[in-house]
Amino acid sequence: MVEEEDEAVYDEDLDDGAGGADGSHGKRKKLFSKELRCMMYGFGDDQNPYTESVDILEDLVIEFVTEMTHTAMSIGRQGRVQVEDIVFLIRKDPRKFARVKDLLTMNEELKRARKAFDEANYGS
Amino acid sequence: MADPARIKTESNSEQSLAAGESPKTEDTEEVPVTSADTESKDTSSQSIIHENKQDSVAEDEGTACHPASKKLKVEPEKKKDRRQKVDEDEIQKMQVLVSSFSEEQLNRYEMYRRSAFPKAAIKRLIQSITGSSVSQNVVIAMSGISKVFAGEIVEEALDVCEKWGDMPPLQPKHMREAVRRLKSREQIPNIKHNNILFH
Repeated sequence: MVEEEDEAVYDEDLDDGAGGADGSHGKRKKLFSKELRCMMYGFGDDQNPYTESVDILEDLVIEFVTEMTHTAMSIGRQGRVQVEDIVFLIRKDPRKFARVKDLLTMNEELKRARKAFDEANYGS
Repeated sequence: MADPARIKTESNSEQSLAAGESPKTEDTEEVPVTSADTESKDTSSQSIIHENKQDSVAEDEGTACHPASKKLKVEPEKKKDRRQKVDEDEIQKMQVLVSSFSEEQLNRYEMYRRSAFPKAAIKRLIQSITGSSVSQNVVIAMSGISKVFAGEIVEEALDVCEKWGDMPPLQPKHMREAVRRLKSREQIPNIKHNNILFH
């Protein structure tokens, strides 16, 4: 597993030296390499996805987050990103909308459960 | 392979799997907030969460769709029961399905459920764009949406790969074709393109 990681880093260095997968982003450090590899395997790719594909996907995700953030800043309360803005932007995409609703609902329930758990402990 | 992002089943299957897998799972590092915590809690709180979720979802729907009138109060109750029954069926079906997975399928399914973007990196990225701090819910929402987005691209790329007669692992040409297709379906946001109808 360690050897594979070293190899992957070596490949990335080569890519950056030769111009990189996407020149417009310059030499940004790879933020999500490990997590994206696991994710791609989970979504159906090979157990060892190509480094170039992981790079492309990382660039796409970062561009997605950037565009969402910029759009969210321009609607609702200007200059700030709030959950309501994100939910509004996502409203047309059923998958993402359902996912966000589920995540936020579950987060609330977990907070409530944790609070109740802590209070129970405090009492005893 | 089961379609991972089917809308209705996902939330409920996560609940059932959280309940079913709690004894085995110990590693909580890479797990997203929700499933990590549900897996580490007692079964009692899990069943509370399960029921609360059903109730809260049903309550929201009921009060949102129907004005307060006695005649219409019967309908939300029926809807709630029907939805609970559908949820339970889905949960059972998922349990049957997962129990019949091969080793490789189980590995892949585990990676699918557990992989997530690191909250710290996403928070840093958003804050570097906004210049001000963002709430935790924003980070949770953004990581979740990004994972769905990555999944859509990989699924489309796998379709392209199969259509072109290639084999996984995915190559950059598949990814680029997938992006092109998603863009034509407007599933990829693009604020740089201005639709000037009349010059």
